[in-house]
Amino acid sequence: MDSAIYRIGIYTDFLREMYIDAPEYAEIQVTSNFSFMRAASHPEELVTQAAAFGYRAIGITDRNSLSGLVRAHVEAKKVGIPLLVGSRIDLKDGASMLAYPENRLAYGRLSKLITLGRRRSPKGECELYREDVLKHATGMVLVSIPPRSYNVEFEVELAALNSAIPGFVYLAASHSLCGDDDAHLDWLSKVAARTGVPMVATNDVLMHRESRRPLLDILTCIRKNITVDTAGYWISRNGERRIKSREEMARLFVHYPGALVRTVEIAERCHFSLDELIYEYPNEVTLSGRSPQVELEQLTTVGSKKRYPNGVSEKVKNQISHELMLIGELGYAPYFLTVYDLVRFARSKGILCQGRGSAANSAVCFCLGITSVDPSQSDILFERFVSSEREEPPDIDVDFEHERREEVIQYIYEKYGRERAAMTAVVVTYKSRSAIREVGKALGLSQDVIDALLKQPLSLLRSDIDLGQLREVGLNPEDRRLHLTLRLASELLGFPRHLSQHVGGFVISRGLLSEIAPLENAAMEGRTVISWNKDDLDALGILKIDVLSLGILTCIRKAFDLLKNHYAVDFDLASIPTEDPAVYNMLCAADSIGVFQVESRAQMAFLPRMKPRSFYDLVIEVAIVRPGPIQGDMVHPYLRRRNGEEEVNFPSEELRDVLEKTLGIPLFQEQAMKIAITAAGFSPNEADALRRAMATFSHMDNIHTFRSKFISGMLANGYDLDFAESCFQQIEGFGSYGFPESHAASFALLVYVSAWLKCHYPAVFAVALLNSQPMGFYAPAQIVRDVKEHGIGVLQPDINHSDWDNILEPRGAGVVIRLGFRQIKGFREEDAIRLIAMRGNGYRDVPSVWQRSGLRPAVLRKLARADVFNSIGLGRRDAMWSVVGLGEQPPPLFTNAMMEEETNESSSIKLPAMPLGVEVAEDYDMLRLTLKCHPLELLKPQLSEIVSANRLLSIESGARHSVAGLVLCRQRPSSAKGVCFLTLEDETGIANIIVWPEKYEYFRRQILSARLMKVSGKIQSDGNVTHIIADEIEDLSVMLDELGSECQKGAESKPVYGINKGILKSSGSSNMLALRSVPSLPTRG
Amino acid sequence: MLSVERWHRQTKHDSKTKKSLPAPIVLTDYTNGVCFVSAANHDALACGVTPRMSLADARALEPNLKIVPADSRADTSMLEKIAKWTTRYTPWVAICGRDGLWLDISGCAHLLGGEDAMIKDLTVNLSNFGFTSRFSIADTPGAAWAMAHYGGEENLIAPGAQRLALSSLPIIALRIGDSKAAELIRLGIRSIGDLYALPRAAIAKRFGMVIGERLDQALGLMPEPISPRRPLPRYRAECSFLEPVSRKENIEACLLQLLKDICSNLECASQGVRQLILDLFLVEGATKTLHVGTVRPVREAKCIAKLFAEPLSKIDSGFGIETMILSAQVVEPLTESQINILVDERDEEIIPLASLLDRLGSRLNFEHVTRLVPRASHLPDRAMRQVSVVARNTQGSWPETQIRPLVLLDQPESVESITGVGDCQPPEVFRWRQNKYSVSATEGPERIAPEWWRRDRAWSRGPRDYWRVEDEEGRRFWLFCECRKDGQCNLSHWYLHGFFA
Repeated sequence: MDSAIYRIGIYTDFLREMYIDAPEYAEIQVTSNFSFMRAASHPEELVTQAAAFGYRAIGITDRNSLSGLVRAHVEAKKVGIPLLVGSRIDLKDGASMLAYPENRLAYGRLSKLITLGRRRSPKGECELYREDVLKHATGMVLVSIPPRSYNVEFEVELAALNSAIPGFVYLAASHSLCGDDDAHLDWLSKVAARTGVPMVATNDVLMHRESRRPLLDILTCIRKNITVDTAGYWISRNGERRIKSREEMARLFVHYPGALVRTVEIAERCHFSLDELIYEYPNEVTLSGRSPQVELEQLTTVGSKKRYPNGVSEKVKNQISHELMLIGELGYAPYFLTVYDLVRFARSKGILCQGRGSAANSAVCFCLGITSVDPSQSDILFERFVSSEREEPPDIDVDFEHERREEVIQYIYEKYGRERAAMTAVVVTYKSRSAIREVGKALGLSQDVIDALLKQPLSLLRSDIDLGQLREVGLNPEDRRLHLTLRLASELLGFPRHLSQHVGGFVISRGLLSEIAPLENAAMEGRTVISWNKDDLDALGILKIDVLSLGILTCIRKAFDLLKNHYAVDFDLASIPTEDPAVYNMLCAADSIGVFQVESRAQMAFLPRMKPRSFYDLVIEVAIVRPGPIQGDMVHPYLRRRNGEEEVNFPSEELRDVLEKTLGIPLFQEQAMKIAITAAGFSPNEADALRRAMATFSHMDNIHTFRSKFISGMLANGYDLDFAESCFQQIEGFGSYGFPESHAASFALLVYVSAWLKCHYPAVFAVALLNSQPMGFYAPAQIVRDVKEHGIGVLQPDINHSDWDNILEPRGAGVVIRLGFRQIKGFREEDAIRLIAMRGNGYRDVPSVWQRSGLRPAVLRKLARADVFNSIGLGRRDAMWSVVGLGEQPPPLFTNAMMEEETNESSSIKLPAMPLGVEVAEDYDMLRLTLKCHPLELLKPQLSEIVSANRLLSIESGARHSVAGLVLCRQRPSSAKGVCFLTLEDETGIANIIVWPEKYEYFRRQILSARLMKVSGKIQSDGNVTHIIADEIEDLSVMLDELGSECQKGAESKPVYGINKGILKSSGSSNMLALRSVPSLPTRG
Repeated sequence: MLSVERWHRQTKHDSKTKKSLPAPIVLTDYTNGVCFVSAANHDALACGVTPRMSLADARALEPNLKIVPADSRADTSMLEKIAKWTTRYTPWVAICGRDGLWLDISGCAHLLGGEDAMIKDLTVNLSNFGFTSRFSIADTPGAAWAMAHYGGEENLIAPGAQRLALSSLPIIALRIGDSKAAELIRLGIRSIGDLYALPRAAIAKRFGMVIGERLDQALGLMPEPISPRRPLPRYRAECSFLEPVSRKENIEACLLQLLKDICSNLECASQGVRQLILDLFLVEGATKTLHVGTVRPVREAKCIAKLFAEPLSKIDSGFGIETMILSAQVVEPLTESQINILVDERDEEIIPLASLLDRLGSRLNFEHVTRLVPRASHLPDRAMRQVSVVARNTQGSWPETQIRPLVLLDQPESVESITGVGDCQPPEVFRWRQNKYSVSATEGPERIAPEWWRRDRAWSRGPRDYWRVEDEEGRRFWLFCECRKDGQCNLSHWYLHGFFA
């Protein structure tokens, strides 16, 4: 990045000299790409170009928006040109105008004006009228944009505006080289003379250079959903709407020199800068009369007494006072109190929550109850938080139960009001796939060519297009449209498409937030969003709080509730017994289905090798099995060192402090950053910039600059090249998947708590998990199967016994799980509530269910298919027959006789019994699981030479064997270089398959489509983990279909035309693979 | 399958290869923005691709799928053609669904040597055309349909034997729809035979009458009427002569009569005709066909007769004409317009023009009689295109905001500037084709940049600055110069591109 700026800098000086004689000019009508799809340059590019031409100032005026301004502001400070803060106001009842506030107050009014328009219209739109503008116009320079042709109404309108706010109105005049410009300018000058509104020159800029004209046309096509061939006059006539040299502007306005002078006049009038925005914390977090710092100190003291009933240790005491001092110094107390307020609200509602983030694991946060990670138990450093020199605002993310986070969000809106609280925006930008797709479409490429392009790796969009690669997929690399597509798509990368809401970022302020930046409606009902994103807020020092959701918290809270009800024990996150060896034993045995974070296949394979024995081991466990460390090849060295197979050494003494805890291997984000600082000589700010650069694709170009600086820095400090490169590689991996230690610690606590629940109360844990679906890695079928393996009985859902949720039923000394109606696909909660409420002493037959519950026959049909009528003696088919016999009319209460008759008739009909295979298929179809018997058990007789999954462990490594099973998941993680991982399930357990890339290509079809698969290959076992390296893969899904369609082999003639190849197939027995097919590695939130 | 093979037949004309379909091919269509497979060939089916699957799924199964957009109209017309062709076996042919045909062969089979031979003949012929087919013969349409679709190797049901033959076929073979079939299967009623045992009332109560009806129809207990295809055009007239006619006057008189018949029918329906076909059946067995077309819908028998005069005069009627059939191929709405008592000048002008165009068109072929229609483009030389005068759907209007000359030269012509004023202005005096012109007024420039996505040699040198220039005698020219890279004009080279009125 530095070098690029440097180059522009030289260019700038050169041009400034060149244009020294040209008249002064400031461009005031500039549309950036934040007026989505309307302009073809980033705000930064526009600002830089204006500076290069020696403009006095540049204003960015996006349509009813201030979104791009922060970026322009940051860039303008860098290149040294004043930025005029403004917006183009499009009206429903009149000509558009540019609005430039003269000072902070006027800026607040502008922001409020846009908020007004945005809030009263749906997402992405803005509805404003002339009277709205007049109400907010004080202190605002308004530049009216005239229509292109002669228009009397406009003149009247302009005169009225001028008399309303005399001295603040200008008339924009552009020379756009359309052929009739002389006449146009002549008309405008006459209007100016008649109305007394001074005329000001603009160039109505849409791009920073003429070379962006193709992209501009493409954006228009995307916006209009047309192609360049059909766009006609939507295509730009020429490339003149760009930042022009001052000489050129002077030439265009040679007859109107005054219009040029007035641009400078406006620039001098409107000197408001975004730096004047001062953010203030909300003040209602404290009780009256107390300063936030005092309040925080008192709350901490009270909290510490609760947390440490036996007295606070000296170490913790010191830490608390150290932290409080820092907080006081930096004035962050209100921030902590705001977070505390949210946590207190959640707790009062019984919503489980936990904080994480750099500041979250401080002793203060522990005492306030924001986090449950005891600082005295773990040994976590707070450098990142403590380093005051970096002035980084504290970062606390709070996770709430995923089902109840909305309550917290609405609490915030209610407490602070819509005007003071809003969610942060996310600027959704073009990524390579979306760019290729939309540019291709606009250029009229056919769908299959676009699809073929999309299959290509990212490198297509770099400068060096690999022509051979194109030829390989059957595309003609000489094709002009193809070239244009790739070139323009790479230009389009990083362009904003629309504003979306951040997952949970909140901005809360003391004054009106709408005076800081415009607020608008989100797509989701009941949400308002501030039009700036996280980086913009950071750049202006505005704090945000992340209110996130986490499924496991829902699960844990439900488990706590069940414990209270069934076992009369009361726990919270902090009171679970710590360092329980039984829990670690369970984890070491990789018995971790459902346990937070460590349930993925990669984690399960890793657990027996890592053998966690303490809380900090879990912290490492959570951080290590992630793309960053995996790509940086940190995992194996760490394991070797941990198991004593390799000596623990440090590249240098100064790095010993950084890396000691992790045996010399950098695993956490903080460590990587710190290596950059201590070993590569980065300043803390540079290190942070590096981390940010990695996270956003738009800055990919700068990576090389950072890389060389990093590596040369480390070499200069005497490190060897290999180490330097692996460190950098790891930082690269961290970019998007980084895991700081404090996050890992918060997560590790949830790992421990969920593991503890699973270890001691498996039935409770399984029910809580099932009731919190969808979440986690496994489908209900695996959860049920796992709990059954732990010796817990599971019962079919039943019309007379089930609840909506899954429940525990006492059986003898223990409990069994009764599946709830929520497991039935397509069955709605309100129907279940009705059914349960009307149950009384129990339902006797199908008509009585119909009569009493009043559920529609279609709903009852679902119930019948789910096989819930067992307690009234009806199997699936009989229940179905009686439900279908109900007809579609509502139950006539007085015609019991007819019902009787029907019952008699039903009993006289003998339906063929449903074969077990079909029952199983129907179970999967309706419940996504079966309690009856595993399909593999039924198919076993037909499968020869198959080894059961549970026997794999006892087989020697290297032997060749075959396994068969349902395909639970297929994964091809980006970090695994094309290796595919499959998980098969048979009636005895799970088999893990590894498919090397060449085999993957060969068996691609089988891998992707098989629901039942047979795999043959070499067994590879390593301690507790066994894999099969696939040699051959066979798709046996047909056997499942046969099982489900209950035909003896060959009995049914296959349809000849291939229509209706087995009804069951089309109606969805393919749901046997309703397991998530490619779960990604867990990410933040 | 039919649609894939239809597509293959169409493209085969280009490649001339007569091999069987080489690779997996699917035809795709869209519903609700999702692209799905509407038909697949044998190879694609073998890969596990099935119709109604989404294209993305199909692609995952077989990345090398050849994908062709579906064309249901072409499918229908192909099926129509096949249906028409099969009328050589029996006149009673009906279309069944998207890819099936009913043939009522009562009393026809013996003509081809029995039912077996007939099926064989049909199958062989169709496969020569490139179509896979399956035929089945039974007493009832329902039974034949079931056997053709689900009957395996069997394709003949002996008279009266359908009850037995159908009993083992799946329930879906009754044409009762997927959802009902699925429901029945779920209840364990899988084959048609399973239905025999169940009480009708219980089934009718649960699934409606349709199942019982279909069953009875298939078994022959209830009639199932089949209506034949109706390929006849709506406006058609014919006349046959007892004695062959060969005198021109007689033929013309007869034609006029036919035209009058058709026109009066058209008038009742407020329609006019744009294309007509006259079939002449000659004594010696040959047929001659004449086409005429008009630029706008008409229904004046005499006017149309004039259009036929020219081609008719070229016809050698040999030993005479036995039959004449006149049919209107393309008709368009033509509402009655009020007759103006005071003669409207505009009408006077247009009607002769239209009839002139009609006569020119029928003599020179309409492709050669053209007019200009607007095309949306900033480039003056691309802003219009030539189309036949009879072409329809020429939307768009001439832009009002563009300043464009009345006459545009095919190629811009170089002009020599004799004196220039500099500063991006056109020359004061220029020479074009040996004549000197002194400029008295200018307006501009209009900067027009090339369409960057097209290769256009004329525009390869970048944007142009167009000026409107008026000379001292009031002639108005459209001059341009090309822009240099830096946006300045290249003042030394000027071109003339057109003239204003």
